[in-house]
Amino acid sequence: MNVNARILTHRVVQQCTLKRIVTFSTKPTQQAAAVAVPQQQEAPGPSVRKPIVPAHYRFVYPEFLPDPKVEWRNSVREKLERLDMLDRRRQIELPEFYVGSILAVTSSDPHAAGKTSRFVGICIHRERCGLRARFILRNVIDHQGIEVVYELYDPTIQKVEVLRLEKRLDDSLFYLRDALPEYSTFDEHMEAETLEEGTPVPVNDIKVVLRPRPWLERWERQNLLGVANIDQYLKDKHRKSAAKVQKPWEKYDLMKQYRSTIPEEEQKEIFAEVHTELHTLELQRKRNKRKRTFVKPKQLA
Amino acid sequence: MLRTVICDLARLRLSGSTSPAAVLVTQVREKGHLSRPRLRNPYWFIRKERTQTDDLVTGENRSFIKEVVHDTYGKPALIKGIQTYEQKQLIKTPVAPTDIEPWTPAVRRCGLIARKIGQYPLWLKNGERVRTTLLQVVDNHVVKYIPPGEYTPAQRPRVKHLDRYGCVLVGAESTNPALLTKEYCGIFRDSGVMPTKNLARFIVSPQAALAPGTPLNVGHFRVGEFVDVRGKTVDHGFQGVVKRHGFKGMPASHGVTKTHRRPGNIGGGGEKGRVWPGTKMPGHMGNRWRIIKGLRIWRINTKYNVMWVQGSAVPGSTNGLVYIYDTVLPLRKPKEAPPFPTLYETEDDAPEDIWYDQVHNFKDETITYKPE
Repeated sequence: MNVNARILTHRVVQQCTLKRIVTFSTKPTQQAAAVAVPQQQEAPGPSVRKPIVPAHYRFVYPEFLPDPKVEWRNSVREKLERLDMLDRRRQIELPEFYVGSILAVTSSDPHAAGKTSRFVGICIHRERCGLRARFILRNVIDHQGIEVVYELYDPTIQKVEVLRLEKRLDDSLFYLRDALPEYSTFDEHMEAETLEEGTPVPVNDIKVVLRPRPWLERWERQNLLGVANIDQYLKDKHRKSAAKVQKPWEKYDLMKQYRSTIPEEEQKEIFAEVHTELHTLELQRKRNKRKRTFVKPKQLA
Repeated sequence: MLRTVICDLARLRLSGSTSPAAVLVTQVREKGHLSRPRLRNPYWFIRKERTQTDDLVTGENRSFIKEVVHDTYGKPALIKGIQTYEQKQLIKTPVAPTDIEPWTPAVRRCGLIARKIGQYPLWLKNGERVRTTLLQVVDNHVVKYIPPGEYTPAQRPRVKHLDRYGCVLVGAESTNPALLTKEYCGIFRDSGVMPTKNLARFIVSPQAALAPGTPLNVGHFRVGEFVDVRGKTVDHGFQGVVKRHGFKGMPASHGVTKTHRRPGNIGGGGEKGRVWPGTKMPGHMGNRWRIIKGLRIWRINTKYNVMWVQGSAVPGSTNGLVYIYDTVLPLRKPKEAPPFPTLYETEDDAPEDIWYDQVHNFKDETITYKPE
């Protein structure tokens, strides 16, 4: 029995290590990048068919996955919502971006001078699903921190440009509010940086320097990776109280993880439904981009 | 012995009433029976579910029962996004009956049974965001119409001149009759409708009467009109004053002890030295019938029988049952005739998605404002 148990646990551990990637959040960046690159070394099994939907879709289109709370789910509603999202995506290009990417959003604004306004900033947070998906852009303009909440599917948004596609070490960057202003200052006339096709999204491992207390949140309790000098401002009492609220066992809580995520099978179902449409839109976008970048050389002489 | 005494007394009383009092009679003040109002429920309030026992039925018999159900009501089918049965034998009225009196604003129409399936925002053409709740009409069929004279409920609903109105019994969500009691299935016998999980009665004018078996769809309402939605609110159980009435509670610190979420004072002294009726106190919260009135219909999807209704405060939880009525608010009542008595749908004429003209269709181009 003992031996059996040992083998079993070993197997369970193996499976866990293999399936660790199944998460709703965009947290496991390195793993995601690994998934994004198609794996060639897999032995060609005759029985196992390759899934049609690319595995990185859940990170690129996180808002297509519904809220995992069981009481709020309804298949008809989710389907209708997805159809509306696709309809909107046919009208406007909503590119792939992550928390930490730098975006420029042009939107219709009845109060602006030219009836449009453009805002450049770093995406510090991305939340909600379906048509309610939204993100927060932050920038420092005239020494004043500005944050704008945009809804991804708001029809007043005219254009979303990704100026720099990258990720950060954390899930949300609210700590930039308490960091020195240079960490959230971006030039309004910044030019878009292009990434080569097929390269994984780079992870910017910059460590942000915080201002001294008082802070907006108790950052020491949140296990942040992208903060450099948090220890500098902590007293023993802060460390003690932070240690008290830690929940190191939660990463072993499989049920909690299960409840807070959409299971892989369901994800496949959902993305299989929208995949063809999203794929054609992607191809179209690529074609348009090529058209835009190609400039006909002038005839000299 | 006792009975004879009582009988004698009764005889005495009778004789006493007929002839002038010659005999001394002990007065009996009680009536002898309880005269509390009897709770006489409508006849369709019967036990629905049968006790499920899995003995004595072989697998063969079970499949036979299934076969019989499918033979009488049709095969299971997915109709308008809902798992139900194709009810071929159903008395359908595909063409609108010709002898209908025209609609007038005073007429009461039938309502619908729906499920609240979720909420998401829509945008208006001026860029404004509106929160909407999606209500899916779930497989509604008229089960019975009771004309005005016969409809005399024991518990009178608060409707003026109830004697002028009839009642339409509507069922929603067909289900396997083998799971239900015989008495409950008997309600549906005359109409030919498959027994349903849910029943509701709607008080209607006799002009708006519907034939049994008529399917009711979301086309019963029009985009831009206003509806009242009735549902049972979410049950919160016994709750304190902070959650139930939104009291502020008291501070967490600064010397406050043992009174952080308590109500504080509940009454004055002197002449009014008592707790006044209606004082907000802890108690059971939710699980009550509530009507939210005057919600505009922003959009309708006829393929899935869904309507988008203004607001996110529709009573009840997601996937909970609600009832939709024409609004009673005088300024929001329809000016033009709605589908009357209901929309008799033909297969192909209805457009799939109907948007109110103020709402931005997601297929349209981005909203822009014109410079002055």
